[in-house]
Amino acid sequence: MILLFVSLFSFSVNSNAKSITLGWAAWDPANALQELTKEFTAETGINVNFEFVPWPNFADRMLNELNNKGKTFDLLIGDSQWIGAGAVYGHYVKLNDFFDKEGISMDDFSPATVYAYSTWPKGSENYYALPAMGDALAWAYRKDWFDRPELKSEFKKKHGYDLGVPANWNQLHDMCSFFQGREIDGQKRYGAAINTERGSEGITMGVTAAMYAWGMEYENPNKPYDMEGYFNSPQAVEAVEFYRKLYEDCAPPGHSDAYMVANLDAYKSGQVAFQMNWYAFWPGVSKEDSNGRVSGFFANPSQNVSAATLGGQGISVVKYSDKQDLALEYIKWFARPDVQQKWWDLGGYSCHLDVLNSPSFPTSTVYAQGFLDSMGIVKDFWQEPTFVELMLPMQEAIHDYVVNGKGTAKGALDKIIEEWVEVFEADGKL
Amino acid sequence: MSEKKKFKGLSDKAVGWLFIGPTVLLLLAINIYPLVYAIKMSFTNFYANKIGRVPEFVGLKNYIKILNKEAIWEKMQVTASFMFWTLLLQAIIGLGLALLLNRKFKGNELLTTLIVLPMMLSPAVVGVFWTYLYNPQVGLFNYVVNFFYDFGSFDMIGSSILAPWSIVIVDTWMWTPFTMLICLAGLRSVPNYLYEAAEVDRASKWQQFIYITLPSVLPFLLLALLFRGIENFKMFDMVVELTSGGPGSATELASINLKREAFEKWKTGYSSAFAVILFVTIFGFGNVYVKVMNKIKER
Repeated sequence: MILLFVSLFSFSVNSNAKSITLGWAAWDPANALQELTKEFTAETGINVNFEFVPWPNFADRMLNELNNKGKTFDLLIGDSQWIGAGAVYGHYVKLNDFFDKEGISMDDFSPATVYAYSTWPKGSENYYALPAMGDALAWAYRKDWFDRPELKSEFKKKHGYDLGVPANWNQLHDMCSFFQGREIDGQKRYGAAINTERGSEGITMGVTAAMYAWGMEYENPNKPYDMEGYFNSPQAVEAVEFYRKLYEDCAPPGHSDAYMVANLDAYKSGQVAFQMNWYAFWPGVSKEDSNGRVSGFFANPSQNVSAATLGGQGISVVKYSDKQDLALEYIKWFARPDVQQKWWDLGGYSCHLDVLNSPSFPTSTVYAQGFLDSMGIVKDFWQEPTFVELMLPMQEAIHDYVVNGKGTAKGALDKIIEEWVEVFEADGKL
Repeated sequence: MSEKKKFKGLSDKAVGWLFIGPTVLLLLAINIYPLVYAIKMSFTNFYANKIGRVPEFVGLKNYIKILNKEAIWEKMQVTASFMFWTLLLQAIIGLGLALLLNRKFKGNELLTTLIVLPMMLSPAVVGVFWTYLYNPQVGLFNYVVNFFYDFGSFDMIGSSILAPWSIVIVDTWMWTPFTMLICLAGLRSVPNYLYEAAEVDRASKWQQFIYITLPSVLPFLLLALLFRGIENFKMFDMVVELTSGGPGSATELASINLKREAFEKWKTGYSSAFAVILFVTIFGFGNVYVKVMNKIKER
């Protein structure tokens, strides 16, 4: 009886406790956020429940939830490309009034992240999210292999320059192909684990890292949605051809449908000298260096210009939530500089300028300087409300060319433009 | 008499309706209504994610667009090829296994149990673990193939030539036991006296197979292939897990493309039209097939 009474009482206490639910992808930074949030609960008494969805299903799960006006989430850390749909279709609460009331200034955050994660229309002062997790596509490499004298001298003899952080994509290819099929410590190694995933956004995020570096623009800066000659410019074509060459010459066997986890696995298991991945994973990679493995990190190499593929997310309040006030309280807490500093310390990537501009930041981790460099040169995929419709044809056409070896790079890009024109026409943009 | 009349129960017809009523209502709610709604949607430019946008009637535009789209025909060809090879292989291997297991030998029951195990697994799980089996570096598949002939390292999933075969192999591995079980049921229903009479008439084993076994088991085999055909026309989960429709679009079946159009691009009107086309196709083929099957049964 006593037990029954206690359990009933505790149930009633729990049901009265204030709680909110936060949705994000299931990855390392989410665990860091969960840890950080314990302090929020201690301070405010508001419990935060987390629902982390694996990356391959993340967009499907969250966008379905939003489209169905679901109340599961009060807070959502959604991908940067979702901001257009979040604003236009009214999924996200506009935060301007709240920011003004609470004295939260977007000037305190890195301009690139505010532009990418918070604003719609792009560059306007309409804010639908607080920059939560800065991220960009970057590279990790086996520094311990690079430091081996015999490999260094062999590389220098072959290519005439030092084995080290590649200054451009040509050097990256030289280095990756140098390791391809090479036996190190009795095991066959390969060049680079690069993005080739077909189903969601993987190969697009990978190939655009090259396309941006070659100087590709999605559209005519003076005539929006005019893509002919920009997205399929000779530079863009060359970049796509280069990415295919990188895949053919340097990827490990079977790396034909790989993204974040597969790249990590290939690297951690010692198969490859390089991996392409998001900064979000570098704390884990760095921490897990063992058995002689020493990891180095560098920002996306330049080619014609310096540029990197943007990742990362902003945190938004879901319009359909019944607990918007509690969700806003969380955002108010999360925006505090001291919390942002703890966020970085725990392995999250703060976008707050107090953290990023701190003199100790560049040397705080081995990848911090690369992160700073990358966040100054990031470019993102379309953030239009129709971004999924824009992403899928690119995934298919690029995978068909790069992995399947079908057709030409120009043909693939032309095909993508054709599909994009159809999407923009249906959306009334053209 | 009057008392009897007073408490007269429901009529047979009413009782019948009482029994089938809930089922009919359920069918109307979860099958017929969505079908009618999808047909209605197929004549509009409705996007389920574009909140507040009123769908416009576009007539046959979606149908014309789909039927004129080269990419859609490519997907249909991929689907047709997948169905042809899986059904052919499952028919041959399934019948062969059924003939084998119809004989009495030690371990027959254990072998039957082992053979039917794959069809009890979840298609998504099967898709995932075959990606490991196909891995060119550590997968068992490459090792086994190279044990018989040294082809070197080859990537079943990453090659546009091999990827369609990779899904055919997995589907055949998983679903041949189903064909086998149905054929086995057919074989066990053949009366022994037919074989005894054939022996008396000095018919060879081959003649017994052609004139007794095959005609007896054929209706069962055709039924199994009908079920498998319908299932494979809708195949989705296993292929998504195994290849995601790639490389490129080499294994993108019609159902995968439909899902992408409907629930990733949210082109509800367009995808409804595509779904109607697929439904009519499978319904048409199914009807013709059943008629042919009935004729074979009558013979």
